[in-house]
Amino acid sequence: MVSHVLPLASIQPVVLLAADSLQSYAPVALVVVMVIGFCAINIIASMLIGPSTEGTVKAIAYESGMNPWDSARKRFNVRFYIMAMTFLVFDVEIIFLYPWAVAFADLEPGSAEAKLYLARMAFFVGTSVVAYIYAWKKGVFRWD
Amino acid sequence: MTMLAPITLASSMADRVGLLWPELLLLIAAMVVALMGLSKDRTIRGAVGPVSILAVLASGVLALVTGGAEAAAAAGVPFPALAQWLKPMVALIAAGLMAVQGGFVDQALEAAIGRNAAAFNPLRAIRGEFHAFALFSIAGVMLLTTATDLIWLFLALELVSLPTYVMVAIGRSDRPGLEAAVKYFFLGAMATAVMLMGFALLYGATGSLQFDLIRNAFGAQAASGGIALLGVGGLMLTAIGLFFKITAVPMHFYAPDVYEGAPLPVTAVLSFIPKVAGFVGLILVLGTAGLTSGELPKPIIALLWMAAILTMSLGNMGALLQHSMKRTMAYSSIAHSGYMLVALAAGTTDALDALLFYLFAYGVTTVATFGGLAVIQRAGGDADRFEDLAGLRRTNPWATSMIVLGALSFTGIPPLLGFFGKFWILTSAFEAGQVALCIFLVVNSLVSARYYLRFMATPVIAEPDSNATPTERNPSRAPVLASVVFGLALLILPCFTGSIFGWVQQATDAPAKAQ
Repeated sequence: MVSHVLPLASIQPVVLLAADSLQSYAPVALVVVMVIGFCAINIIASMLIGPSTEGTVKAIAYESGMNPWDSARKRFNVRFYIMAMTFLVFDVEIIFLYPWAVAFADLEPGSAEAKLYLARMAFFVGTSVVAYIYAWKKGVFRWD
Repeated sequence: MTMLAPITLASSMADRVGLLWPELLLLIAAMVVALMGLSKDRTIRGAVGPVSILAVLASGVLALVTGGAEAAAAAGVPFPALAQWLKPMVALIAAGLMAVQGGFVDQALEAAIGRNAAAFNPLRAIRGEFHAFALFSIAGVMLLTTATDLIWLFLALELVSLPTYVMVAIGRSDRPGLEAAVKYFFLGAMATAVMLMGFALLYGATGSLQFDLIRNAFGAQAASGGIALLGVGGLMLTAIGLFFKITAVPMHFYAPDVYEGAPLPVTAVLSFIPKVAGFVGLILVLGTAGLTSGELPKPIIALLWMAAILTMSLGNMGALLQHSMKRTMAYSSIAHSGYMLVALAAGTTDALDALLFYLFAYGVTTVATFGGLAVIQRAGGDADRFEDLAGLRRTNPWATSMIVLGALSFTGIPPLLGFFGKFWILTSAFEAGQVALCIFLVVNSLVSARYYLRFMATPVIAEPDSNATPTERNPSRAPVLASVVFGLALLILPCFTGSIFGWVQQATDAPAKAQ
């Protein structure tokens, strides 16, 4: 399991390729466009269809659903921790998905190896789905 | 397309799935059980325990049917036949341990729901999680037996340990329970760090994480003037880190507090599951440095030797001073680790077989005794003082008999199973020339009779104190049932020692053939 780390040499061609042609930066440009578009659409959409209520409650600083006064060193509602932990679980899962996705793109489509890799990741994601169902039934996402 | 060439399928875990069916079954069962525990239907929640026991037993059967020694040898497992003995054995004992837990988790909550005094609140119910964690832990032990490298070993050991930390923490919510959980977790993390440091040194000394390559490197070093100091240091730190799991001196300090703070059924799990894991880990790691060929470096032999003597003696002396039954059991479990370390220090194949058999005898005895002790309880905690056992012969003669049988077997009285375990360790250590260790073992066994006698005498002879609040009866019958089954096994299994011995001997036979 361990002795099969990707050799450094296999990364070099990618770096060279990137330096060779500007075209390989197209995905980056695409992401930049998507980011700007996402922000713009969100701002404009909330200006157009968002409820525009005014008042003291809205004017106070936003502090993750808590009243932002008194000391910062007070007891937090335990729900925040549960939510944070649940978030972390799926966050870490993305970290595992990412290198897999990078490696998966280089496999022969439809080959036995590719199917095996897909099956592994499906199993891994499957365990997370069970975790999600569990968290749901446990009432982790219920706020009141 | 060629970028991934170095990753060969032959080395992947997926290729060894054939060896891992029992673990996969346990993993799936753990998921199912975790969800079942949150069901709104009371009968489904009640089925969590039986389903877990069935899953564990099924995984044991699956281990017997699948995963031959040849496949394991081809995959590079250092002791290819080890799994064939250990997986069914662990499954059998673990099923008993799960039965001892029967009805314990969420007892008050379920009783309140039964009286319609409370509504089911998934956030407060922990039965599903509790059983799921137990299943994860058992899967970890099984995974350990087919480890081929240090990373696998580490992950499997953590899979054994982490769920047990949680089980200690959620089993009781009072102060001693939380203290036990915190102690266990932090000291466990420290021991893991020591072990990882050992792994790092082993890697530095041999340039590999794979057991076969480490063994080759150590073999080459031994041939040219002895194993490098770095390697010896690595072995030593790894062994000391693993001593935590088996509660051996100098890593035994946590055991009494944690065993006392944990609920009784969890104490039973703690005294068996991590112990098996620790000894398998020790056999695998020390196996790379010539454990079975008697070529262990001198400092390692000295370490095992001292650990064996100190563990036996401290365990038994500590047990003499206790008033809490769980603390006594903790020291008793320390002492038994000492006996097993005698076999490890002797280091012959025969001694290793004796150790593997002793684990079995110890496990059966543990279930019989703890199952018997679990029949009494107090509101908000276990009935943990020896006095609580007084008068048990009238209220529960079956449990009393099984506690007596278990205590006799722990002491090593023939014809019970515990005797054969001890006897085999003694003879194999004697044949290996460890006469001093044998003397220590015998003397310690005699000393241990003193506190095991309390387990026998109190329920049989003593009368309950009329001023004390009487203990309550455990509403679940599963613990006493497990106790009777395993207690009778203590009597009956010795008739089959011949075939069991033969089975155990195969477990360590294969590496010689494979080499």
